[in-house]
Amino acid sequence: MKNSTLVKGTAAIAVGAALLLGGGGTLANWNAEATAAPGTIVAGDLNVTAANGVWTDRAGTVIPDITAYKVVPGDKLTFTQPLTVKLVGNKMAANVATTGITPTNGFTSTNVSVSAPVLTVGGTAVSNPLKPTGSDQTVTATITFEFLSTTTGRADTTASYNFGSVAFQLTQVTQPGLS
Amino acid sequence: MRTKRALKAAALIAAAVVLGLFTVQGTFALWNASAVAAPGTVSAASFDVALTAVNSGATTNMTLANGTPANLALSPAGTLGPGTSVSGGVVVTNNTNAGGQFNTTITVGQPTVANSGSGTLASYIIVNSKTAASTTECSSSTGYAQISTSGLVSPTLGKGGSTIFCFQVSLASGAPSTVKGQAVTITLPLTARQLCGVPSGC
Repeated sequence: MKNSTLVKGTAAIAVGAALLLGGGGTLANWNAEATAAPGTIVAGDLNVTAANGVWTDRAGTVIPDITAYKVVPGDKLTFTQPLTVKLVGNKMAANVATTGITPTNGFTSTNVSVSAPVLTVGGTAVSNPLKPTGSDQTVTATITFEFLSTTTGRADTTASYNFGSVAFQLTQVTQPGLS
Repeated sequence: MRTKRALKAAALIAAAVVLGLFTVQGTFALWNASAVAAPGTVSAASFDVALTAVNSGATTNMTLANGTPANLALSPAGTLGPGTSVSGGVVVTNNTNAGGQFNTTITVGQPTVANSGSGTLASYIIVNSKTAASTTECSSSTGYAQISTSGLVSPTLGKGGSTIFCFQVSLASGAPSTVKGQAVTITLPLTARQLCGVPSGC
């Protein structure tokens, strides 16, 4: 009895499989095909690079090697650091900022005046966020160091002021349409 | 039992908050890049002024290594009689290692004449001075004058520049014979001062 059920089941499966095989052909009448081209998605770019910075004196004369230059009271030196900012992307926008400097100051603090880095684009202060302009943008960071002429006696002769490193950070900011 | 449950709940909430903060922070991270500049070290110059005695050739820095003012003996040649004089001088050189402009002037202040022991010679001593272009001028008596109250000021000394001060010590012709053999110590204070190099003034 059990045996006959098995046989019947097997037969039913076999008939079904045969039907499926036969059916493929019978469905194929007309058919058509179309191709869409979604295209290539290209990512934008965000980068900031620092070229060589330049020191100049009060008169604007370039100081070729700051380690060989010795300042005296009344000297005012300016460090100019060009930064190349690359921004590519339809919804790209980024803030540029300095993360500050951690100098080692060997001078009496009241005898020197050191400015925080000031960021400018084309002579005017940076207005964040920066947006792509189609080409690389140059952001200029300037730091001034003034050995004040109010220094008296022989104060701070042979003192030194190590600027350490100054880091500049370019951070993408979200725009309408981004999250 | 109840407190344990409350603690468990609190811990769960804290964990959830921390996790939440982490996730929130994550969404802020879009692209970012950074660049580093190294402006280097700015060093101050030295303020070295070298003094050389004309007669002896002895030299010293105006300021000693320990920061105190130096003393330079000018040791004038010859002995002093009534109405006669002896001379000496000092060559002052601006020896700074400044990178930019560093102009100085040297000022000779009022001399102090002190008797050695219980002598009275000091009141008969006249000290005159002048600036000179060469050390040989010190022995010539022309051009000597008393030092004014504002002092004798040298011409401007640029980096590496030098100037000469000549000093003439005379004994008044009316000096009594009681001052014979006595000695005085004459002190001439020299001050070096940086000139303002700032265009808009200091």
